[in-house]
Amino acid sequence: MATISVDGKEIQVRENALLIEELLSNDINIPHFCYHPALGKDGNCRMCMVEIEGKKRPQIACDTPVKDGMIIRTKGKNIENVKRSILELELINHPIDCPICDQAGECALQNYYMDVGLYSSKLKTPKTRGKKHVDLGSNVMLDQERCILCTRCIRFTKNITKTDELGVVSRSDHSVISTFAGHPLSNPYAMNVVDLCPVGALTSKDFRFHKRVWFLKSDNAICNRCAKGCAIFVDHHKAKYEQDDIFRYRPRFNALVNGYFICDAGRLSYKDENENRKSLPSIRGNDCEYEYAMLKILRLLKHNQSKAAFIISASLSLEEIVLIKKLANKYNATLDAYDHNYNEQFGDDFLRKSDLASNRNGLKALHVSCDETLMNEHIAQADLLLFVGYSDLSSFDCTHKTVLGLSQNIPKKKDDFAVFLPFKTHTSKAGSYINADWYLQFSQAEIAYANETKNLIELCCFYKEIASMDVEQIWQNELQAYFPHVNFQQLRKNSIKIESL
Amino acid sequence: MGVKIVKREGKTLKERSYIFALFTGLRVTLRHFLKNLKDTSNIKTISYPEELPKDITPRYRGVHRLTKRDDGSVRCVACFMCATACPADCIFIVAQEREDGVDEKMPKKFSIDLLECIFCGACVEACPCDAIRMDTGIFTFIAQKREDFVIHKDALLKNKAMKGSK
Repeated sequence: MATISVDGKEIQVRENALLIEELLSNDINIPHFCYHPALGKDGNCRMCMVEIEGKKRPQIACDTPVKDGMIIRTKGKNIENVKRSILELELINHPIDCPICDQAGECALQNYYMDVGLYSSKLKTPKTRGKKHVDLGSNVMLDQERCILCTRCIRFTKNITKTDELGVVSRSDHSVISTFAGHPLSNPYAMNVVDLCPVGALTSKDFRFHKRVWFLKSDNAICNRCAKGCAIFVDHHKAKYEQDDIFRYRPRFNALVNGYFICDAGRLSYKDENENRKSLPSIRGNDCEYEYAMLKILRLLKHNQSKAAFIISASLSLEEIVLIKKLANKYNATLDAYDHNYNEQFGDDFLRKSDLASNRNGLKALHVSCDETLMNEHIAQADLLLFVGYSDLSSFDCTHKTVLGLSQNIPKKKDDFAVFLPFKTHTSKAGSYINADWYLQFSQAEIAYANETKNLIELCCFYKEIASMDVEQIWQNELQAYFPHVNFQQLRKNSIKIESL
Repeated sequence: MGVKIVKREGKTLKERSYIFALFTGLRVTLRHFLKNLKDTSNIKTISYPEELPKDITPRYRGVHRLTKRDDGSVRCVACFMCATACPADCIFIVAQEREDGVDEKMPKKFSIDLLECIFCGACVEACPCDAIRMDTGIFTFIAQKREDFVIHKDALLKNKAMKGSK
């Protein structure tokens, strides 16, 4: 450990670590473009200048190792002048088209200009023009004029995905980011460059022009595209007279699971989420009232005591699984969870997993049978089948059975189900999941629903004929027994590694 | 409870008749009455709607209009500044990629609900492109249904500036 003095305040930092890392982790605002914790230092933007006592000129904080006893100034007239001059250089050829720029509102250039800029332009010569919309591939659009050449995107393709699609071409004012001819940006993580870009040079074709960012509300959640369970922000907005729609997913930093990134498939899975929110209840393929379908299922369950088989998917939360287990007990039904939601092509050695169900390990932890032959036996013996979390029944043999469905997805074929009842989708319900690497995680987002759809916890409580419980109560009453060492309040904040089974 | 006896002022016949006091009070009204009787052109009251007000100046905040560029294309770039500034939340914009190649972004839909609008002019202040103005001088807007009070992009583009505005 080393002690350094920053603006007259002493702080304890790690010796030989990068100065910018330590300053940022101590909540000291250092403007920076090219430095990113996942990509390391590059030292090309010169924005992170600080004054260090004993050094003649200001130094860049991103390439200065910490030494014990350093005296550093980040504020004051001198250093502010330096920062203003650098910003002026960055903005020489910038088009300043913030009104049509999607980054406006979350743009580092805008923020730093308001912090240390506020100068009037001294430029008399016309700005160097560039191409305004270059399609780089993988949903990424480049605006050459807005680019400040921090090379974060280039270093991402070089160091993280190791695909090397991007590079800088031409010289001086005409330098631009570019792909090589005939080799567009194409890797499963490409859209992360949009988040990495500190300005509006790289924008997502998928989000472009759909919503101004200051309208969006961000909620914390866990991605449910595959078993990895990456931490994400769900950005949603309820416009006047519209329903609360999701506009994008962004990666949320979680050192234990996904670091700073998510894959493109996960990022774009918000579309399914929006689509599934339109799901309606139906009886024999005809739309019906929610309450009516709910009561119809209750009647059928009561009528078929001891003759029912419950088949649940591996994407339900722990809270839901534990309640369904109790529900199966009440109606004396069998409970199975064979879920073949795999895609061997999907997985890779970075973040993507071939297992596409988000809580398969949760089923193991709560001791739910995942045996296929046992499930088929149970199905053959039962009169009533209740599928929870399935939308496609093509792989099950349901002839001469009454088939009920509870699902967050829109069913593939409505006729498959005697009664189909939707429940709230993943981002509209809080719940805990265990990912492929046995991290217990909590997804918090509870985005409001426009229609009367209930969540699965409420439905289970209704069928168990008890008062509805919230997630915390379920943890206290039911789940704590399975995970004696887990503190729920801690789980809300962090992922917790649990023993694998 | 005691009774307070108030002394009545004015004992003379002139004071007790009230006639003179009445005419003193009506002096200004009567003066205008007699003046307007001779010359009706100065009367402030107008017989609306046959007669229209003459004091609508270019500064008057009337129904909005969307301005055009010199080449006739819509000036608005759908930046949502007006919708953000609007205190009544009555501007509804859907943005899209520009079709005419003039710029990058343009409104696909641009609607203002005139029943919700409070005509404060915050949208005009907020616009960085001078694309929305309220200088049409239109102070009445008549429609049969609520939906008809929501004016859309085409209608807003058709609205003209009133005479005398910049």
